[in-house]
Amino acid sequence: MAVAIPVNRLERGDHACVTFSDAEERLDILAAFVSAGLECGDKVICFTDATGIEDDLRERDVLVAERQVCVVPTKQFWGDDAGPDAVAMVKRLAGEMARAQVEGRRGLRITADMCWAARPQANAEQLLAFESEVGKLFAEGKLTAICEYDRETFDPVTLAYATRVHPRTVAATVYYEDPTLRICRQHVPPGVRVAGELDYTRADVLSDALAEAVRLDHDVHLNLSHLRFIDAGAAAVILRAAANLPASRRMVVVCTTPIDRTLAVAGAAQVTQLTIMVRRDGR
Amino acid sequence: MLDQAFDAGSLFRLRAAVAAHAAALGAGEAVYDVVLIAHELSSNAVRHGGGTGRLHLWSDADRIMCRVTDSGPGLADGAGRGDDLPSPQVPGGRGLWIVRRLAAVRVVTGASGTTITAAIPIPSGANRGGPAPAHDRNGRN
Repeated sequence: MAVAIPVNRLERGDHACVTFSDAEERLDILAAFVSAGLECGDKVICFTDATGIEDDLRERDVLVAERQVCVVPTKQFWGDDAGPDAVAMVKRLAGEMARAQVEGRRGLRITADMCWAARPQANAEQLLAFESEVGKLFAEGKLTAICEYDRETFDPVTLAYATRVHPRTVAATVYYEDPTLRICRQHVPPGVRVAGELDYTRADVLSDALAEAVRLDHDVHLNLSHLRFIDAGAAAVILRAAANLPASRRMVVVCTTPIDRTLAVAGAAQVTQLTIMVRRDGR
Repeated sequence: MLDQAFDAGSLFRLRAAVAAHAAALGAGEAVYDVVLIAHELSSNAVRHGGGTGRLHLWSDADRIMCRVTDSGPGLADGAGRGDDLPSPQVPGGRGLWIVRRLAAVRVVTGASGTTITAAIPIPSGANRGGPAPAHDRNGRN
């Protein structure tokens, strides 16, 4: 299995398998992939049964203009209850590529939500036949695609096969992970994402992750919307990283009400470089 | 009530136990404050109070009471600790400050250990009694 790369190292003409372990991670990778496509003039089609993808992308500052991103239900691509037919799928993709060319786009960029393939009636052999067949379409460099596999719903054997039939594998850059805490790089908007429970024992990992974001990004976006607990020691690391930014740069924290309250009592108001946005629904 | 010993490796479990008991004691929206206070007091004991301690949690009228006892060397500046918020550049020292913002605090400290008791107000309209009212009757210690 190839070493996983972060999504921002994908190039046009790549066919990659994306593995993710939560919705936030998937949307971050999707947002980075779609915005790279819009920047280089590709037509973008998202095959997914999830609703509200456009809103999710806009929420992540991806500039989705009217009809720039098409969202298509997966069954229109993979076929309905009869299950997927690899030949028909490749044909359909070739048709979309021809249409994108007629529309004057530089190429076609697709994202394919593979969650349907975990359903009992799904014909996994056809799926894998498709992944092998479709390789020809990528040869010219006009098709770029990511196929999204949820690590929680696929068994290890299918996941291993999926990563093998894709020339590339994309995954989040993980700074730290254990059953109670996950600290990852976030691509869109750029910064760090923390989920679970964070206390002083892992504050050093957060400190390192924030230091990298401070080096790479102008404004640092810290996504804490799935953080359930933060203590004074970890809050202090966030306040210090923000306070050390030059006055022209900002740290933007997205979090829930309890986390906001903890940051506030830890002295957030003293730090002028810090902006806190509270999300009530945890999205 | 909850009466639980803790050390550095059990703070995660302690927080889960405190959250469950605070909810059962009717803390309502104050559950998060109770968990934060319990964690800050306990982690202070782990870091500065000899590495281990005991946490008690009970309810008293319209307050949740959280008491943490350790056998450490005592607090250097005694009961006044946590009265001032450190500058954002300073890495630590916010634990007791935060606890004092969210609760009424009593500190008893000496060469043989420290006991800190925090009284956390229960917001009016909280679901008192909750799923396990028996905890209320067992009450104070």
